[in-house]
Amino acid sequence: MPQIEYRNIIKDYENDRILDDVSFKIDKGEFVFLIGPSGAGKSTLIKLLIRDELPTAGQIFFDSGVNTQQTKAETTSLVEEVSSIANISDIPHQMLPDLRRKIGVVFQDFKVLKSKNVFENVAIALEVADRSLSEIRKIVPNVLGLVGLSNKMDRFPKQLSGGELQRLSIARALAHEPDVLVADEPTGMIDPNSTIEVLNVLEKVNSLGTTVLMATHDYNIVNRLKKRVIRIENGKLISDKKEGTYDE
Amino acid sequence: MMSKYFKELKILYTREKFLVLSSIAIMTVTFTILGFFLSLVMGFHTAIKTLESQAQITLFFKDEFSEAKILELKSNIENNEKILNVNYVSKEQAFKIFTDLNKDAPILLEAVTKDILPASLEIRARNLQALSGLAEEFKVTDGVEEVKFFRDVVDRFKYWANIIYVVGGVLVAVFLSLSYAIILATLRINISSKADEIEVMKLVGASDIYISRPFKMHGLGFGVISALLASFILTLLFVSIKFLGIFSVDSKFIIIPGIKVGIVAFLIILNFVILISGALVGYLGSLSAVKKYLKI
Repeated sequence: MPQIEYRNIIKDYENDRILDDVSFKIDKGEFVFLIGPSGAGKSTLIKLLIRDELPTAGQIFFDSGVNTQQTKAETTSLVEEVSSIANISDIPHQMLPDLRRKIGVVFQDFKVLKSKNVFENVAIALEVADRSLSEIRKIVPNVLGLVGLSNKMDRFPKQLSGGELQRLSIARALAHEPDVLVADEPTGMIDPNSTIEVLNVLEKVNSLGTTVLMATHDYNIVNRLKKRVIRIENGKLISDKKEGTYDE
Repeated sequence: MMSKYFKELKILYTREKFLVLSSIAIMTVTFTILGFFLSLVMGFHTAIKTLESQAQITLFFKDEFSEAKILELKSNIENNEKILNVNYVSKEQAFKIFTDLNKDAPILLEAVTKDILPASLEIRARNLQALSGLAEEFKVTDGVEEVKFFRDVVDRFKYWANIIYVVGGVLVAVFLSLSYAIILATLRINISSKADEIEVMKLVGASDIYISRPFKMHGLGFGVISALLASFILTLLFVSIKFLGIFSVDSKFIIIPGIKVGIVAFLIILNFVILISGALVGYLGSLSAVKKYLKI
């Protein structure tokens, strides 16, 4: 059963068709590149996944795992498995925070808060979920350790390099231990060395079981990692290769 | 959570000192006017009720109308449910009152004997409106020479009280609208200055309640702080007025019909009303600002 399924997605902005009948599935634990030129519709697919926007037509299903619900019969104890697949468009507004804690997002422009230090930038993700201070003090150093920023917890964003800022952004996205990490052009604003650092972090996160969906138009990255590649052009799905390269 | 709120309020104050101070100043003026107006309303209400309760019709009787007939009429009048009480003033009592009032004018006293002064009935009604109708009825009652009814004083007082109610009401409405508008403006700037943080909070799964809570708290805070300042000003005003001797410590306000409270109790109630009003205006203003400007 796929973890994410885009089914016949159409997205129009006024008279422009941005996505035209796009369908694909992503299994749990996959690392998938979403490639294509600027304006192809990659970012729109990501926005639809986190319900920042709604599709004009079609459905997006997201399976955040399996809930186990125990119900008691008169004589026996029955354990019933209930699937937690949700059509993202149908999720009630008040449940969106839950969705966004299961899908971590990283953007090209980092979206870190300049007035907060590294620790606080990650802590905010936990604060909004009303996590206790002791939990925050335990989780934040862990995720900062995962992205290699343990020694820079007191630094402010202006004291960090582009690569460090993006790793900080990844750390924040990982604070809730999401099922999926979505990265929209995460290396678009950083130098080649920092790009490698960020990719290493994403591979590490993926190796720990988190599904990674990364939109990029950087062919070096795609060719280097040899992961599944979904190509989008003019809003249409052009190809879907298991171990693809940028030019295939 | 409160320490976080005060920290954010301090940041807001540092960033937008002028705006925060002017918001609080305007709201303080609003609640001071509201408190002053409420005090005036209560004061006038009490004064009118007192005047109404003291207002009376005096029936002066012809000399040939005997005391027995007057007392019979008194009994009849007392049976009327509109009447609160009736007091008989005989010729002798009238003369005594006259001599007491004019004891410094011996020439005048020499000229007057008890036979000249008429006997009278002092009639008080349960309300002023009833008194007015009764005065007309008594004019044609047998034995009555003259009916005196000082209605104009009460009516004029009521007229000015009504003008003050309207002007005060308009003033309160204008300042409440101003306060509401300034809360909206302050929070709008606060919300736009935190646009990045709000965007990040949404991305990492903050609920609408979590995002809007600090802004609602700011509005509530402004309202409560302003109300407390207004309460302080009003208390000072009351203390000053008391020292000027405009009213005594024993003065009573009629809050609702039948219930009188002293100055201290009135001030406590007034400050409580101001505080609740402050909290309400602040909270409702911030609620509107959040609804209008916080796109969540």
